[in-house]
Amino acid sequence: MIQASLKKQLHGEQGEFQLALSLHVAQGEFVALFGPSGVGKTTLLRCLAGLEQPEQGSIKVRGDTWFDSSNRINLAPQQRQVGYMFQDYALFPNMTVYGNLAFALRKGADKKRVYDLLDMMDLGELQHRKPNTLSGGQKQRVALARALASEPSLLLLDEPFSALDAQIRVRMHDELLRLQKHFGLTAIIVSHDVGEVYKLASRVMLMQSGAIVQQGIPIEVFSAGQTTGKFRFTGEILAIEPMDILCSLTVLVGNQIVRVVAMPDEVAKLNVGDAVMLVSKAFNPMIIKL
Amino acid sequence: MNRITGKIVAIESNAYMSLVDVAAENVVFTATLLETPETVEYLKIGNLVTLLFKETEVALAKNLDGLISLRNRFSASVTHIDAGDILSAIALDFSGKKLVSVITTRAVLRLQLAVGDQVEALVKANEIALMAGHHDH
Amino acid sequence: MIIDWQPLLLTFKLASVTTAILLCIGLPFAWWLANSKMRFKPVIETLVSMPLVLPPSVLGFYLLLAFSPAYWFGQWLDRVAGLRLAFSFEGLVVASTIFSFPFLVHPIQAAFQNLPRSLTDAALVLGKSQWQIFTRVLLPNIKPALLSGTVLAFAHTLGEFGVVLMIGGNLPNQTRVASIAIYDEVESLNYAAANVYAGVLFLVSFLILLAVYWLNRRAAK
Repeated sequence: MIQASLKKQLHGEQGEFQLALSLHVAQGEFVALFGPSGVGKTTLLRCLAGLEQPEQGSIKVRGDTWFDSSNRINLAPQQRQVGYMFQDYALFPNMTVYGNLAFALRKGADKKRVYDLLDMMDLGELQHRKPNTLSGGQKQRVALARALASEPSLLLLDEPFSALDAQIRVRMHDELLRLQKHFGLTAIIVSHDVGEVYKLASRVMLMQSGAIVQQGIPIEVFSAGQTTGKFRFTGEILAIEPMDILCSLTVLVGNQIVRVVAMPDEVAKLNVGDAVMLVSKAFNPMIIKL
Repeated sequence: MNRITGKIVAIESNAYMSLVDVAAENVVFTATLLETPETVEYLKIGNLVTLLFKETEVALAKNLDGLISLRNRFSASVTHIDAGDILSAIALDFSGKKLVSVITTRAVLRLQLAVGDQVEALVKANEIALMAGHHDH
Repeated sequence: MIIDWQPLLLTFKLASVTTAILLCIGLPFAWWLANSKMRFKPVIETLVSMPLVLPPSVLGFYLLLAFSPAYWFGQWLDRVAGLRLAFSFEGLVVASTIFSFPFLVHPIQAAFQNLPRSLTDAALVLGKSQWQIFTRVLLPNIKPALLSGTVLAFAHTLGEFGVVLMIGGNLPNQTRVASIAIYDEVESLNYAAANVYAGVLFLVSFLILLAVYWLNRRAAK
């Protein structure tokens, strides 16, 4: 769906560096850009949306050329119509929740889409409220709904959940995945939260000073041959309970709930909602035929 | 999780698995892995690795005598005992490194373990996992 | 006592016309200043702010020279548009517009600059034109600044004296605004009339400013 290769000079905190990378994203894929701040993740998103212009390269989306430096083609953001979720939500303060969504509709689009989205995102009650009366999580839902109201085929998310607390973040992740599947969207998310990447993305690209240094499915990229454990799963912590001198972790792995034992000092660094990897030696599991 | 960093000093492998000897603090540990130097890049003699093993896999012995199949045994001194109803956590000092063993409180009583005791810690080779690099804390 | 209401009417006419023109020019100008990354922007900003620091008579003097048919600009205006700006109401409007420009532009420019850049970006990716963004996203979100800028420019025009005296003189129904009339009446020891003009200006200015502060306080809630 997306084929892009671009170059752009950037001024980072550690001086000048070049954003230079190529990117291929398949239809319906959910890709995460992961890396420390100031490596060009946001700039890459902005270049895709047309809010910034690369110095060199090309961006093709589903066969259409959005940008091509050699042919001097550069579609305006208005013509690209991607869905974009900004870090600061960027809700229009002068409009109500309903107004924000209605403003996002394409010309001639049915107003029903607004009501559908309000319904889907559970925003019906809030539709007459102005953004500055909403909580962080509510603003986030409105921002996502607004991004979807313009019927984008490509959704770009710039650290959309970084300001939310863990529980709301987990809920938003579920919501986002559901909507992404529902609308068959291709999505690119900028994140520096490992758990978030695990949960959302089918592919992660590690970025370092303007380049993609590694990519693959999150589990491979993040644990890339680091441990020799053969019995390895990632899951989300549902509960942490003290148990005598030890602690018990309840972890959701896929759709199974498992319990593992951990030492109190290991648990001190963990919170409910965190993504964890459970590793065991291949020798340990016992096998029972079903 | 217990972590000890050491250097790979020997690798014995067939087509499917390896016995990796890792020297750390004058003790040679052995880990059985379902990996071979062909499948895992860092399995090379001289490489720095971290041994990982769970607290509950560390057995303790006092005045150990005779032959034993366990590959990994090392002397340590007891620095703290946290006794629970069923299980107890025994903090060990192994050449300046802090390790923990979790055994039954019943065993603590039977061994008459006390802070300051010298004990032998035992870990089966197939309970030790390896991680590339230095991840000691 | 017979009071000539003409100077007061003329003052309000001048202030209204000037403010209307200022809004048309100043709004887009403030928006441009807020977004421009031009190298000469500080020079332009300085020029806009000059009326804040210059004695009004300096500005008036230069405008008088510029408008005078004896010089090329005045000649050119006369020939092309048949306009004689010196000692005319039109001249006063032009001078007041320049003189009150910073009062309108400054608060509005600051407000545009304070709006998060992401609002414009968000509207752009939603496919909105620059005009739609300006009228439906940016303007509605700088309402308080728009109000204070407009009112300050209006109130400032009401009170100007030096520029008007220099280029307008004291022609009844043409350029004799209230501030000039007050000076004139005092000169001829007609304190009662001066009192009426002064009182009206004082009261109107007070009420306008009060309204602005009150409205902005309500908007901030």
